[in-house]
Amino acid sequence: MKVLVVNDMVPFLRGGAEALAEEIVRRLNGTKGIEAELLSIPVKWEPAERIIEEILICRSMRLYNTDLMIGLKFPAYLVPHSRKRLWLLDQFRQAYDLWDLGQSNIPKTPRGHEIRQAVIEADNHCFPDCEKIFASQAVANRLLRYNSFDSEILMAPVNDPELFVGGEYGSYIFCGGRINAGMRQHLLVEAMRFTRSNANLVVAGAADTPADAALLQASVERHQLNDRVHLDVGFLPLTRIAKYVNEALACAYLPIDEDSVGYATMEAFGSAKAVLTVSDSGGPLDIVRDGDTGLVVHPDPESLAAAIDRLADNRNTTIKMGKEAHALWLSMNVTWPTTIERLLG
Amino acid sequence: MKIALCSSFVPFVDGGGRFIVEWLQRKLIEHGHEVERIYLPFVDHPQDMFAQMVAYRLIDLTESCDRLIAFRPPSYMLRHPCKILWFIHHFRLYYDLWDTEYRPVPDSVAGRAIRDTVFAADTATLSEARHIFTNSRTVSDRLRHFNGIDSEVLYPPLQDADRFRSDGYGDEIVCVSRVEHHKRQHLLIEALRHTRTPVKLRLCGMSCSPPTYSEELKALASRLGLDGRVIFEQRWISEEEKVERLASALAAAYVPFDEDSYGYPSLEGSHARKAILTTTDSGGVTELVVDSVNGYVCAPHPQALGEAMDRLFLDRSRASMMGEAAYQRVLDLGITWDKVVQKLLA
Repeated sequence: MKVLVVNDMVPFLRGGAEALAEEIVRRLNGTKGIEAELLSIPVKWEPAERIIEEILICRSMRLYNTDLMIGLKFPAYLVPHSRKRLWLLDQFRQAYDLWDLGQSNIPKTPRGHEIRQAVIEADNHCFPDCEKIFASQAVANRLLRYNSFDSEILMAPVNDPELFVGGEYGSYIFCGGRINAGMRQHLLVEAMRFTRSNANLVVAGAADTPADAALLQASVERHQLNDRVHLDVGFLPLTRIAKYVNEALACAYLPIDEDSVGYATMEAFGSAKAVLTVSDSGGPLDIVRDGDTGLVVHPDPESLAAAIDRLADNRNTTIKMGKEAHALWLSMNVTWPTTIERLLG
Repeated sequence: MKIALCSSFVPFVDGGGRFIVEWLQRKLIEHGHEVERIYLPFVDHPQDMFAQMVAYRLIDLTESCDRLIAFRPPSYMLRHPCKILWFIHHFRLYYDLWDTEYRPVPDSVAGRAIRDTVFAADTATLSEARHIFTNSRTVSDRLRHFNGIDSEVLYPPLQDADRFRSDGYGDEIVCVSRVEHHKRQHLLIEALRHTRTPVKLRLCGMSCSPPTYSEELKALASRLGLDGRVIFEQRWISEEEKVERLASALAAAYVPFDEDSYGYPSLEGSHARKAILTTTDSGGVTELVVDSVNGYVCAPHPQALGEAMDRLFLDRSRASMMGEAAYQRVLDLGITWDKVVQKLLA
């Protein structure tokens, strides 16, 4: 069976969705009887008026020599096909929840309302023709709320689970992932000022901008935390990230209202590490349960410091929570083979 | 420089149309450029062809790259202030194949209106290009004839041509190509019947269409009593195998019917320093092969091809000289990636 995965692209930009799309194709190609390829349609989001053209472009495309289409993002999933499934990584949030929050690029003018309505109608026109729609919990909730469509929950598995196998429980808290203000690594650095235990902090990952990295570095120096906070900034090989995770006491992950559980959370759980997160982090809260598989506290430095101390001072409890996290993760069976099976099933 | 390479594609089908893009991508990256490759689908059904062209037209890459290089139709319909074309073929069914059985719509008022619209859309968007390169004189001639547009021939090189070599000149005429009726492997088999020497023929390559033609070829060889002299390798031939088969070949054969470009098989044979056996009606191949200099350009008849095979078999030093000339011919035509990169970025 020939499966075409259809995604957006912003030329010369690559992020998590692009990496996931390629991984889906790679995993599909590793499946018996399946041939897979990726179609990426260039998209431009600004100005808002442009969205109308993007919808038209995708709806005018025609596919040939394809048995099954798997659409990932708006507006690429609007490309017509008689056998279509969606793994909805995102709708166009500017027309939905971000519109409601006043964070949309669509102006609240009469024309803006029309543009928003065009997005909603394009979606509502597309979804009924899909054989199945898969989504993360947060995306599924929005889809139900705004479009009244049901979907099946599907999480994107860790790409190289064999790297995240756990190891000795060290004396540091590890925070991986992209470094930017929204990921709030700065809160963890500030928290280290208030800790009383001997716990250290390791932050590793690629910074979105040089300024993001500089801010973090400046904070470490201002608070004279050089000997307790280790920053490892850059595009690091996954093996290095895995070593940090495997040898950590616990992991921390503090995104703001993230849609998905997050790779950092999944990798920590796979390595049997408890995860420290905060009450407004969104996706991670689906599996990080306070006192059970990690700690959930208020997003401020003092609360985080108290949590870090609790993890460091009660090592046995921390390790036990890590093992709970691991058991929960295994029971969820979020692996590539099961994911591909569900996508095609 | 940020360069977008844009072409149309058929999902799950590989071929020359992709190689030229992907090989260029590699070379541009080696030259230190940032490259984004964009393949878009296109189905040339008359009923929704124009809607798809509009979709191509609406895509806006003007701010996202410094230069757009477009290949297969209708990728040149994208807009960009610095649009360069490496034009490799038209929508041929509406152009040079219109007066054949392949014509996609009736030659009626309505059908001709569709054809005229294709011409108009093409001519308008092709004319926007800063420069148009083609892969052959044949394609350049068509652009001039049908669209009134001038272009420059820029022959597409092979990827890693250095790996081809010659280990001497054996007994086999080797043809590495897809097994398709218009590639006319049957002509080569029939030619063997007219040979007086024990020259052999090796046919390598896979069949993409229904297997009837490859079965016909086998039956033909049996019927002509040529079982031991035609060696079939009807499967995907790896690049390494290709190098080996050509290294020991007496000569390379490539006899397609009216092909647009000189064809990678003839270029591969030339890099392996083998004389190229082709026919007068093979189209672009005759741009590369000069009769009796770097190969033989025969009448498209079994007898003429058979005689040429015998001449190669009987005079190995001539075969070797023509093989060297084939290699020299590629150099003389300047078929190198350095030249391609320099031209496309000028």
